[in-house]
This record gives sequence, C-alpha cells and structure tokens, in this order.
Amino acid sequence: MDYTLILLAIFDGLSYAALVFMVAVGLTLIFGVLQILNVAHGSLYAIGAYLTASIGGAIFAAGYAPILAFPLMLIAAALVGILLGGPIEYLLLRRIYHKPEVLQLLVTFAVFMILEDVQRLVWGNQPYFESSALQMLGNIQVFGVYYTVYQLILLPVVAALTLIGLRLFLRRTLTGRLITAVTEDREAAQAIGIDANRVYLLTFVVGAGLAGLGGALASPTTSVLPGIGAEMIVLSFAVVATAGLGRIEGAAIAALLIGLGRSAATYTYPELQVLVPYLIMLAVLLVRPEGLFGSPAARKI
Amino acid sequence: MLEFKNADAFIGKVPILRDLTLKIAAAETVALIGRNGAGKTTTLRSVMGFTDVRGQILVDGQDITKMKPSRRPALGIGYAPEDRRLFTGFTVEENILLPGEVAGLDAAERADRLDKVYLVLPELKEMADRPAGAVSGGQGKMVALGRALMLSTRLLMLDEPFQGLAPALAQRYGDALKRLRDIDRDVTVIVTESNPKLLKSFAERTLVIERGEITEPDREAA
Repeated sequence: MDYTLILLAIFDGLSYAALVFMVAVGLTLIFGVLQILNVAHGSLYAIGAYLTASIGGAIFAAGYAPILAFPLMLIAAALVGILLGGPIEYLLLRRIYHKPEVLQLLVTFAVFMILEDVQRLVWGNQPYFESSALQMLGNIQVFGVYYTVYQLILLPVVAALTLIGLRLFLRRTLTGRLITAVTEDREAAQAIGIDANRVYLLTFVVGAGLAGLGGALASPTTSVLPGIGAEMIVLSFAVVATAGLGRIEGAAIAALLIGLGRSAATYTYPELQVLVPYLIMLAVLLVRPEGLFGSPAARKI
Repeated sequence: MLEFKNADAFIGKVPILRDLTLKIAAAETVALIGRNGAGKTTTLRSVMGFTDVRGQILVDGQDITKMKPSRRPALGIGYAPEDRRLFTGFTVEENILLPGEVAGLDAAERADRLDKVYLVLPELKEMADRPAGAVSGGQGKMVALGRALMLSTRLLMLDEPFQGLAPALAQRYGDALKRLRDIDRDVTVIVTESNPKLLKSFAERTLVIERGEITEPDREAA
C-alpha cells in the first residue's frame, strides 16, 4: 500500500469522523443530561440532509448563488432542532423520564420509525444529490494527493469548533452552567431555582439541531436516500458507547478512532468496512465496559 | 411564615406525612427532631415541592402546594439537603453564587449576599476557588449552607446538618448558625436532627416527628 493510499485513507477517515462526531455529540449530550438514548437521532440527521439537499437543489436550479448552501445548512439545522426536537421533548419525552429505560428506548425507536416513513412521504424513494457547497470550495493538494477542501478542511473545522463551542457554552455561559448543574443533580438544581424542564427542552433542541447540522453538512458529500438515518444512528451509538455515555471530548476521540478505522478497512479489506466500527467498540468495551472516558457512576458532561 | 394545613405527603403512593397541621412564625428557630424514616426530610422536601402533597402548604400566606419546585426558592427559601449535593464541577464560590444568578439577582446584590455568606462562614472564603468536588465532607456541609444562604431571605431549611460531622466541625457549624442569627434576625430557620440534645441551645422551639406525625412536647406540657 503506497503512501498516497494511506493519505487518502486518513483524509477519508478524518472527514467521516467529523460528520459522525456532529451526530454523536448531540446524542451524548442528550444522554448526559436527559438520561435518554435517543434512537430518533438518526432521523434528525437524515431530515437535516434531506432539507438541505432538496431546498438547495430547488433554489440553485432557480438561479440563486451556491454560496447560499452554507446559511441553508444552518437554517436546516435550526428547523430540525426547533420544529422536530422541541415537540419530541415537550410532547413525548417529558412524560417518560421516570419510566423504565426499556420504555424510553421503545418510545424513541417509535419516533424513529415514524420519522423514517415521514421522510418517504415527503421526499419519496429517489436519492437527492446536491453538492454545490462541496464544488464551490474546490480541491486542495496535500503531499501530492488531491482532496476536496470541503471534506478535508471545512468538516473537521466545523466539528472542532462545535466541540470547543459546546465546551465553552457549558462552562462559561449561565445557561450552560444550568445544564451542567441539572446533569449532575436534577433535584439539587431545582432546589436552587433551576427550571429543569426548560433545561431538558433546551438540551434536546440543541442536540437535535446538531444532528440536523450533521445531516446538512453530510448532504453535499453523499446521495441522500432512505436508510442514511439508520446507518448513522448505529454508527454514532458505536461512537458514544466507545467514548463512554455522556462524554463530549470522548466522543470526538472515539469518532476519530472509528472514522479512521473504518476508512483503513475500506482501503485494505473493504468487506470489513461495515464491521470495523463495531470491532473497535467491542474491543474497547471488553477492556473498559464503561467506555474509554466513562466512569461507572458519575454523571457529567 | 410557614404553614401546613392538613397536609399529607407521599413518596410514590406511600404516605409519609399524615394530616400535618403546623404554623411556624417568622424569625422562629425550629428544631425538627425525629428518628431516621420518621419524615423529617419529607417535611422539608414537601416545602421544596419534591413530594406529592395533598392538603395545603403556605409560605407567607401564599398557597404554594401546586407551585413548580423551581419557582419556590425565589420566595426567599434556602435549602441544604442532607447529603450536601454540591455541583462538583464548579468552585465553592460558584456553588454559592449560582442560586443568586438563577434568581436573576443583579451583580451588586449577589456581591452583598456573598459578603453575608462569608461573614457567617469565614472559612469558605479561604476555599472559594477550590473545586467543590475536592472539599471534605464536613467542609461540603458548610458550602451547602452557604449556597442555601444565598436565597434564604425568608426561610432557611437545613436537613441533618450535623450528621456525620466531626465534633470540632459540628461546633463550628453551630457557631455559624449563631452568627447567622446575629446578622439576620428575621429569617425563619428549620433544622432537622435525630439527636434531640444537639439543638437544645440553639432552637427556640422543638417539634418532634414520629411516623409522619408532628407533636410539640414543650407546648403540650405547658
């Protein structure tokens, strides 16, 4: 295997890790605060992608400038967070926080199933492909290898900014510190006047918005078609479990590990590509059942 | 100041407090004495809104039975739960200030109240920048008291603060409560304890709780 292939594998892994991280970080944030594993997270990712690809396709066909693809991604993410995330938390999850985990899983799984059908109803079965954002930024040559600026630079930069921004938000803003306080001890937080319900709603909206943003960012790199949500949720579960539930920085490292592992397999043993993320997860969990950065009991984000 | 009217409190479906009727006047210092499981903690938690209550609980004449738990501290209620429950990711001072920020107090008011907390608990000033997760159990109780003081302009409720404190620390905690009394004559203070002797010197009024029912031996004898 010559070094060009190695570089390509690294670049593929890096850009893929950035996308998986965007979804996994929202999943782990929601789990850290609400203690609910949101299976519907994959649908939120898919709908973010569909919105971006379909609206983008329509407005660029009408002659609008491709640069609009970037604000469109943010709008799609906000729509997913507010219009889907908001009602899911407010109307459904709020009723089941004290219920058994199995029921919580079933409810979010049901939401996932419903949203999968909603996608087929709205966007049909044919794939959407809209890559103006990716083409606009062009290619870059690194050590003799050409790669798209969008995937090699923009995606990792957005992921890194998300990681740093989320950390700063949680540490430095009052709202962020309220989230941190509720995560550690819901009742103690309420005892000092924090409205835990509002914190839950806000966290879910932010987490859902991040999934939507992940989908929006992914849309120029791939065909948007039924099933992408399911693929992404399973992969981000692997990332979150590998990192340790609720671990934000851990999710970034686990996403890199799994992204790079997956692309290494793609270039060496392609038939193992699907399997490798789970082999990594399995290996980690066999040694550390609480995940790389998890601790058995602590609840922190 | 605080009034229970025929209040039953439940944890799940199990009744813990039964038909509780009780009036506590403003500025009173009350000891609530009872064994483990008698209902001390449930009494305080009912005021904070963490139990299902049938009947009425009133604060300054206002019925708060249906009020959301998160809105109650803003009535001027500070509560230090039994097991400290600090926010370990924040510093000691951040723990103390957070209730004030949540309540939307302006910076000057927060600084005033922080000064008052340090007046009552000078030792907290020395550990202000330490992470709350790194202080000892006894110091943690002091921090929890400081955090409760940030909002307790009307009512301060301390759940078994002396539980598990080394004698020297218990002495300092008691001294802090006396300093609080010197600074703030108006606040109502309720302290729970299983050992009736411990609060004798401090409390003006002693209530005894047994199997969810509160009696007042001193007054009944008189």
